[in-house]
Amino acid sequence: MLDVERAYFDRNQSDFEVHHSGRFVVIKGEEFVGVFNTIQEALGEGTRRFGLTPFLIRQVGLPSKPISIPALSLGILHADPTRTSNRPRPTT
Amino acid sequence: MPILHVQATGQGQRLNGTLVQIEPFIALQQRGPCVQVSITLEPTVAQALVQRGERLPSPVTGLALIDTGASVTCIDAQAARQLGLAAVNVVQMASASQASTEQNVYAIQIEIVGFPIRIQSLGAVEAELSAQGLVLLIGRDALQMCTLFYNGPAGEFVLCV
Repeated sequence: MLDVERAYFDRNQSDFEVHHSGRFVVIKGEEFVGVFNTIQEALGEGTRRFGLTPFLIRQVGLPSKPISIPALSLGILHADPTRTSNRPRPTT
Repeated sequence: MPILHVQATGQGQRLNGTLVQIEPFIALQQRGPCVQVSITLEPTVAQALVQRGERLPSPVTGLALIDTGASVTCIDAQAARQLGLAAVNVVQMASASQASTEQNVYAIQIEIVGFPIRIQSLGAVEAELSAQGLVLLIGRDALQMCTLFYNGPAGEFVLCV
């Protein structure tokens, strides 16, 4: 998803950082749609132009933050420690 | 300031099959702080769609788990499809079964059903949650606008925005 847009952003990242640091860019395909002060403005313009089709919004100069969702990454959402698993118990 | 006060409830089954009420502190420990939510388009997106003369999709309702361990909010993939959300970014996320997968990011509005509490998540990550009976994990991006009190011994929690 958004492969073309992400490649376009990566190719132009250094240029964006010089001219639009801290602002939000909107990219659709190989088209640079514009630059906005807030993500809401970017969302509004992107949706006005393209409706409910995917387009990329990136904040320029913001290092990608690690996403941490232990409940999903560890598979422990609603884990119940009182229930035994099928795994064989270790023998002493 | 709208305040949501929830005491967890639940039923358990004895060995003979009879149903019994579970103590609130046990129900809260087992299910976690869950609320009924309605997910809609982020307001700016909704407004722009109206300007285009397009119809707004119906909200998706379901159970959300407040997850202070999650750095961002997660929306169930099926719920995102039902709402017709358009991806605005892609992120890498580790999962239990694979090292790392690419997941779409959406802008959404979360409304607590029956309360005037609306929270925006502009970077909700897609995840498979329906098998857990959930449509949403409310993460710290949404909680940064909220106050949350978790009272384990009483089996209660309070959420204010």
